[in-house]
Amino acid sequence: MNKTFIAVLAALPLFFISCIQEEMENTECDIESISLHLDKPTDFFYHDYDTAQTIISAKTNIVFIIRSYANVKNVPTTLRVTEGASIYLKNENGTDELFRNGSAVDYSDEKVRHFHIVSEDRVWSRDYTVAVVREKPSEGNLKIDFEEYTLEPGGKYYVWTAPEIFTDGTWKNGNPGFKISKSSAKPMDYPSTPVMGGGPDGSDCLKLETCDTGPFGQMVNMRLASGSMFNGVFDVDNAIKNALKATMFGSPFAHKPMQMRVWLRFEKGNTYQDRSGKPVTGVVDEPDAYVVLYRNEDASGNKVMLDGNDVLSSPHIVGLGRLPHYYNADGSDQLTNNPIHGVTGEWQEFVIPVEYRSEIDPTVLANKGYSLIIGFASSWQGAHFKGAIGSKLLIDNVQLYCE
Amino acid sequence: MKRILYIFTFLFVSTTSVFAQQEDAWQKWGPTKGLKAGGFIARVGYVIGGTTPLPLPAEIRKISGFSPRGGVSLGIDGYRMFSKRWGVSMGAHFFWEGFDTKADVKNYYVWLEQEGEITKGYFTGTNATSTEMWGVTLPIQATFRISPRWNVSAGPYLSYYFRQTFTGEVYDNSDGVGYLREDNPTGTKIFMTRENPTPYPESFADNMLPLNVGVEVGFDWKATKHMNVFGLVDWGLSNIWRAEFEAISFRMFPIYATIGAAYRY
Repeated sequence: MNKTFIAVLAALPLFFISCIQEEMENTECDIESISLHLDKPTDFFYHDYDTAQTIISAKTNIVFIIRSYANVKNVPTTLRVTEGASIYLKNENGTDELFRNGSAVDYSDEKVRHFHIVSEDRVWSRDYTVAVVREKPSEGNLKIDFEEYTLEPGGKYYVWTAPEIFTDGTWKNGNPGFKISKSSAKPMDYPSTPVMGGGPDGSDCLKLETCDTGPFGQMVNMRLASGSMFNGVFDVDNAIKNALKATMFGSPFAHKPMQMRVWLRFEKGNTYQDRSGKPVTGVVDEPDAYVVLYRNEDASGNKVMLDGNDVLSSPHIVGLGRLPHYYNADGSDQLTNNPIHGVTGEWQEFVIPVEYRSEIDPTVLANKGYSLIIGFASSWQGAHFKGAIGSKLLIDNVQLYCE
Repeated sequence: MKRILYIFTFLFVSTTSVFAQQEDAWQKWGPTKGLKAGGFIARVGYVIGGTTPLPLPAEIRKISGFSPRGGVSLGIDGYRMFSKRWGVSMGAHFFWEGFDTKADVKNYYVWLEQEGEITKGYFTGTNATSTEMWGVTLPIQATFRISPRWNVSAGPYLSYYFRQTFTGEVYDNSDGVGYLREDNPTGTKIFMTRENPTPYPESFADNMLPLNVGVEVGFDWKATKHMNVFGLVDWGLSNIWRAEFEAISFRMFPIYATIGAAYRY
C-alpha cells in the first residue's frame, strides 16, 4: 500500500522534470561589443581604450572618434554578437554579405558602414551603423539654448541635440528610464520636456520636473524621477538594476572650463519625500546645476567614467562649479528648509565659476585626458530618489567659457 | 468413467466452496447494508500538485524550486452499487490547494500591468509563481470493485473556486542572468535582480476562471470494516485563464493528487 503512495508522490515532480522541452534557438540579435584592431591605436585615438566599445542594447549607431588629422582605411573589426546570431555587412552594391569576424572594414572618409545582425532563429534582426569620424576641433566655448529637439523614434519622449563634442551629439536624461516605469505617459508628462517660447528671451527653453513614477516605480522602490539633463551615456539597460550606475557622466574635452553662465527658474514641489515615499518635514527641495572636469583615465590606463555614485565626489575630479548648497562637516549633502541656491520663480542669470583642486596638465588636456560634465537636475537628491514631486527647474541660454 | 465422474464431482464441490468463501469476502468488505446497497464515504486528504501548462513550453528551461501550499481536502461522497462490481458515486470535496514554483526561463513572455501601466516583453532569468485556490470539486464517478477490498473509480468533475490567487515575480537566475526585452527580442533590455524583483500585477488573479472541468480517477482500499485509505487525481482539462487574457501566452491546467483516509458506511 505505502509503495503506491510513494510512487504517486515521486511521480509528480518527475512528471514536471521529464517534460522540459528542447531549448529554442536564440531570438536576440545584438552587437554586444565591437573592437577595432590597430597596431598603434594612439596614432589615431586619444586613448588605447577608445578602440573597443561595449554596446548597450538601445544603441544602434556606433561612432568611433579619432584625432582630427587621422584617417583610417581598412581596419580589422571584431564584433561580439548574441550567441548564434549571424553578422552581415552591406557592401558597396548595397547587398548584405556574410561578415567574418576580424575581417578588415573600410572606414575611410568617415564612411558609415551598415551591419545587419540576424538572430539564431532567423526571425529577428537589427541594423547597426558603424562609423569612424574625425574629431571636430572646438574652441571650447559652448553655447547651448535647448532649441533643437525632436520626439524619439517611438514618439514617447523628447530628445535634444547637444554640441558635437558631447557623446553622440545628444543630451542625456532619465526619460528612457521613465518610459519603463510609466509607459502610458505622454511626451509632455516626462521629467525632461521642452517649453515652447518659455525662455527668458521668448525662445524655447528646457523644463526639468520631478515626477511620480507610478505603481511600477513603487514596486522597484524608485518612487520619483528627478528631471535631469547631462552629457554622457544613459545606460537604460541598468535603469532598474542599478540606477546610479545607469547615468554615466562626461565627454572627453580638450579645454579648461572657467565658468558657466546659465538662466534658471525654479519652483519647489510641495512635499519633500524620502526614498520610501514618506514625507520629510523641515526640508525643501533644491535644484542643481554643475560643471565638472575630471581625469578620464586611471593610473593603470583604464577608462574612468563618473556615474551617479560619484559624479560630484570622485577623486578623479579636478575642477568643479556648482549651484551653492549647504554641506555637513563630513562633506555630505545637508538637507534644509532654508537653501542658498538663490534660484527663484523669476528668470535670473547665474554665473557658476569652476574651482580647480589640482593643476591641469596641458598635454593630458590636449589629448582629451579630461572629461567635461554639464549637468542639471530638478531635485538635487534625485539620484537617490529623494525630492519633492512637482519641483520644476527651467533652463535656458547655457554658456561655457574656457581658458 | 466412474473415475472421471468422481473427479468432476470433486472439482465442482471444491470450486463451489471456494466461491462460497469469496462470496463471504465480497459481503464482508461490501456496502454495510448488502452488496447492492448504497452508503457514504467521508474523506480527509492531503493535496499536492500544480497548475501547469501542458506540455511545458520550451521557454521553461528548468524547474529550480517547488513547494506545495495548503494541501487540505475534506469531502463526502454518496454511492450506490448496482451490482456486485458496479456502482456510481457523487460527492463534494472542499479543498485548499496551491504551490510555489521557481523556473529558469528563456524568452518567456510576461506582461506587467497595473492601473493602466503596462510593461510587456520577453524575460530571461528566474520566474517565480505562486498560486492558491480554495473551492469545491463535484465529481460524478463510476466505481468498479476489482476485488473485495479494492475499488477504483473514474469520471468527470466540475470545480468551483471560492477564491484564487496567482502571484509571481521575475529576477536573475543563479548565473546572474535576469533581463526583459521590452516588446520583442530586439527591444530595450531591462535588467532585473533578486534585490529588486519585479512582480506580476496583482490583478492577474482577476483573469482566472471560477470554474474548471476535468477527470477524476481514484482508488479506495478498505483497511478495516469502516475505514478506507484512498488516493485520487484531479486532472483539469479546461484552461484556468480567461480566453482573452494575453499576459500568459499558454493554457494552464490544475493537476492535483489527494491521498488520505476515509470513513465508509
